[in-house]
Amino acid sequence: MSTINEGSNDVNLYTDNRLMEEVKDGKVEKMAVLFEKHHVSLFNFFMRLTGNSSISEDLVQEVFMRMLKYRATYQGRSKFTLWMYQIARNAHIDFLRKKKDALPLDEQWSEPITSEASPAEKLEGGEEVKLLRQALAQLPLKKREVLILSRYQNLKYKEIAELMDCHIGTVKAHVHRAIKELGKIYFELQGGTVS
Amino acid sequence: MRCEDIKKNFPDYLVKDLDQSSSDDIQSHIADCASCRQELEDMSAVWTKLGVLPEEHPSNGLRERFYGMLEEYKTEVNRERPLHHLKQFFSSLFYRSRSGRPAFQIAFGFIPLLVGLSLGYILFSGSQSAELRREVQDMRQMLAVSLLDQRSTTERLRGVNLSYGLENPDSRTIEALLDTLNNDPNINVRLAAVDAMYLFYDSPSVREGIIQSLSQQESPFLQAALVDLLVSVRERQALESFKKLIAANELDPKVRQKLEQGIKELSY
Repeated sequence: MSTINEGSNDVNLYTDNRLMEEVKDGKVEKMAVLFEKHHVSLFNFFMRLTGNSSISEDLVQEVFMRMLKYRATYQGRSKFTLWMYQIARNAHIDFLRKKKDALPLDEQWSEPITSEASPAEKLEGGEEVKLLRQALAQLPLKKREVLILSRYQNLKYKEIAELMDCHIGTVKAHVHRAIKELGKIYFELQGGTVS
Repeated sequence: MRCEDIKKNFPDYLVKDLDQSSSDDIQSHIADCASCRQELEDMSAVWTKLGVLPEEHPSNGLRERFYGMLEEYKTEVNRERPLHHLKQFFSSLFYRSRSGRPAFQIAFGFIPLLVGLSLGYILFSGSQSAELRREVQDMRQMLAVSLLDQRSTTERLRGVNLSYGLENPDSRTIEALLDTLNNDPNINVRLAAVDAMYLFYDSPSVREGIIQSLSQQESPFLQAALVDLLVSVRERQALESFKKLIAANELDPKVRQKLEQGIKELSY
């Protein structure tokens, strides 16, 4: 097990990576701690990607199942959360693929996002929230992902670049375009009136 | 600077990740360029608007399904372990028996008996009754509390690790874990106790204990771990303690950063 010693000076390095190293070494019960730490933010990641709570819960469960299954392949070189989001993205892609296979040919490329109102949204009851979710749903997947990861999941552009295996400049360009496009869609959904 | 070069830094401007000189470049450029100024204002407005999306919470069913899956996985791993050891033992036995030594040949004759015993063990462990399960939990609880009191660091760490498997720890166990968190001489044991707190956060005494503990901890590692925990569980009651700690003079810069981020997340 990795431990803290007097020479360590980075408070951010140890927690999740240490826990996952322990899971890898056979203390699988430690996955419960990682679940408690991350399941809500992971759920929100999927909610913003898919707009559907039941699908999002299935995907969160799938991510934790895969992390257990592939625990031996975990290498603590990079942040645990990056590894987790890598698995999360793969689980989402597999979900889209399965969904596409299940659809008739003429519907295969339609937008996978549903427009179900979430409990929080019903509670807030805000038209603004509803429009924003609709606008986000109309963004192409890659731009939506980059925007969600940077705006809500607090990942740095450098980390998103590592996650998506691309240059940091590409990530920034995606964010730039995504925000402009989102603003345009939102404006159109509002009926062209400035709020 | 050209508009294109300035615009490249807009995404960094939004996440406030710019050095002073790049930030100054943007400010002086937009003071003269109406088009870039407008674009940056529009982007900032969208970025801020994204903040209105509320945080969603999964149903309780997700937690139940996860723990069900984890239990199954643990049972599977525990079933594989004796089989794996048995396999290693038999293969080494078989290899040695070929050397013709009588002791190994006799041992080889016990194989059917050993297979029967291990099968019995597997079947038994798969059908534990609720009663037995409760008894195991109670014993585990007693053992965890007594290990937390030991002199050896390894033993105390074992005590904390044992507590991870507890379903409903009683007040004595919670008290012992909080005491470990606040007073254990070893930082790794204290950190392991923080991990355990994630699992027992439903208990009000844990919630109070954690917030109180934050004001007592001096190690930046412990402070960071506790801030992480309180932010993860969205503990708004901790805001006051965060603000007090941030006002302290001697604070690790990374802990300060975590506290600032935490205040932002809990206030939102």
